[in-house]
Amino acid sequence: MIDTELELQPHSIIARRKEKEAKFNFIKSVLLDIFFVFYSLVVVQRAIYYKFILNLRDIPFSWNNILILLMISIIAGYAWTYSKTSLSARLFGISKDNNVTKWTVEIFSWFLFNITFIAGWIVTRISIIDLFSSEGIQGAERIFSALFQPQLGIFDDALFAMIETIYIALLATLISIPVTLILSFFTARNLMKENKISFAVYYILRIILNFVRSIEPLIWAIIFSVWVGIGPFAGMIALLVHTIASNAKLYSEAIENIETGPVEAISATGANKIQIVWYAVVPQIILPFLSFTIYRWDINVRMATIIGLVGGGGIGTMLMQYQGLARWHEVGLLVLMIAFVVWVMDYISAKIREAIY
Amino acid sequence: MLLEVQNLHKIYNSGTHALKGVSFKVDEGEFLVVIGLSGSGKSTLLRCINRLIEPTSGKVKFLGKDITHIRGEELRKMKSQIGMVFQQFNLIKRRSVLINVLTGKLGSLGVFESVFERFSADVLREAYTNLERVGIKETANNRADLLSGGQQQRVAIARSLMQNPKVLLADEPVASLDPATSNSVMQYFEKINKEMGTTVICNLHFLSLVRRYASRVIALKAGEIIYEGMPGDINETWFKTIYGEDAEEVEIR
Repeated sequence: MIDTELELQPHSIIARRKEKEAKFNFIKSVLLDIFFVFYSLVVVQRAIYYKFILNLRDIPFSWNNILILLMISIIAGYAWTYSKTSLSARLFGISKDNNVTKWTVEIFSWFLFNITFIAGWIVTRISIIDLFSSEGIQGAERIFSALFQPQLGIFDDALFAMIETIYIALLATLISIPVTLILSFFTARNLMKENKISFAVYYILRIILNFVRSIEPLIWAIIFSVWVGIGPFAGMIALLVHTIASNAKLYSEAIENIETGPVEAISATGANKIQIVWYAVVPQIILPFLSFTIYRWDINVRMATIIGLVGGGGIGTMLMQYQGLARWHEVGLLVLMIAFVVWVMDYISAKIREAIY
Repeated sequence: MLLEVQNLHKIYNSGTHALKGVSFKVDEGEFLVVIGLSGSGKSTLLRCINRLIEPTSGKVKFLGKDITHIRGEELRKMKSQIGMVFQQFNLIKRRSVLINVLTGKLGSLGVFESVFERFSADVLREAYTNLERVGIKETANNRADLLSGGQQQRVAIARSLMQNPKVLLADEPVASLDPATSNSVMQYFEKINKEMGTTVICNLHFLSLVRRYASRVIALKAGEIIYEGMPGDINETWFKTIYGEDAEEVEIR
């Protein structure tokens, strides 16, 4: 690749790169246009026409129908990009610069926004009547009055469960640190882009981490409560897994955003990769790392309370039990305790992070 | 012949053609100054010499050897023989001056010694000698980023001296300093060039500094060499050609 480039004249290299980029943008633009048209057709047909105008309870579904819509959008999308007046052509900078483009882009953007909002309104079944019905308001009054008269009889148990929750969060955060540290260097683009093998490692790790992160801790807790049994251990592992995946991303972004000057200077001395990382990268990322980790502990305390709801131990499990029995006075005490602890953690972590910088 | 650059081209991924066939030679002991407007390719040129940037085509010969395509250990050995000083100093902030100077020696230290900062007595002595050379021995234990700009640049010079460089590259070393400090920093480059015999290749903006310190001048314009000669021969006409019709010379003392 590099060798063939060296033989070419510089001007032809530039021309070739431009051509490649234009081709690539055209393909991206066609795909996006097809998606736009397909999306609008589906939303207009299913949400607005079937559900709202015809007010059908069971919406008819057939693959043939979807296929026909897809065919239409492929043809329309391609033609639209080809005419160079489409929204995506504009987004990728290959559109014609005339009034037709301007109008189509403007009208179609508004159209997309509006059908999305209307479809969202229909799907969410927003109802002002339900919100203000007298029956509903009575129910709300009952619960609220109970919540604000907490039952202090269970305070000892609740305190113990709360401490368990804080330790779950703390352990998940502490154990995550060494793993995250190592992972973050392998998922930082600027350190891994140099050769193909390291870039492949970077890419695979990123995909795995993105996947792990996209599964909420609540779902991890369900998985681990089956794996290791219901209890605080399941909750801790669930938090740990998610903490590693999210912090590895934050850490590696901190590595990607470092000043390049010191890296240049250290590599100009003939230092090897490990020395460059140790002297030019590490000193720049220690503080952000510390800050992220403390913040994550704060987040984990909140998450740990939620995770208890599905059997992850701690105060969440207790909350779930009393809620199931509809004992709102006990629930009230637990909610107040959670609110207090979260507020304290939030305050402490903010103060520590301020002091660091 | 210490250094030879042949028909060097650099095209960035953005499509910018920063160097368009630059060729020149540098003899041992020279103080070569590269001038030109911002964006004329001066920084790219220096970085292509020690391969901080990979040239697109052309050749760089250092000590008679083609170094354009060397890799790994060989590349690091070459880099350790070429010192470099930057406009923004590029020190490790939050670490001491001494540690910053010691990083100049990394090319000849093992991973273990450097990561655990086990520097031998010889290396430490060398670091203090080099700090003394640039006159800031007493700041050795201070945090590097708390020093003044001029002092930080002197730390950077001491760091590059740790490499015992055959050639010292300086990328606009005084561009972020005030005029008085600029002159004193330039005097250290002169001292290194005259007393230690180290070849210096330096990007500069101010012509008065060029006339005072350069033994030879190259001018770049839009990636091409448009002037090569003695600093004293740059007259009004050349000045306008290099810096454009509207430019006026600013005196710096």
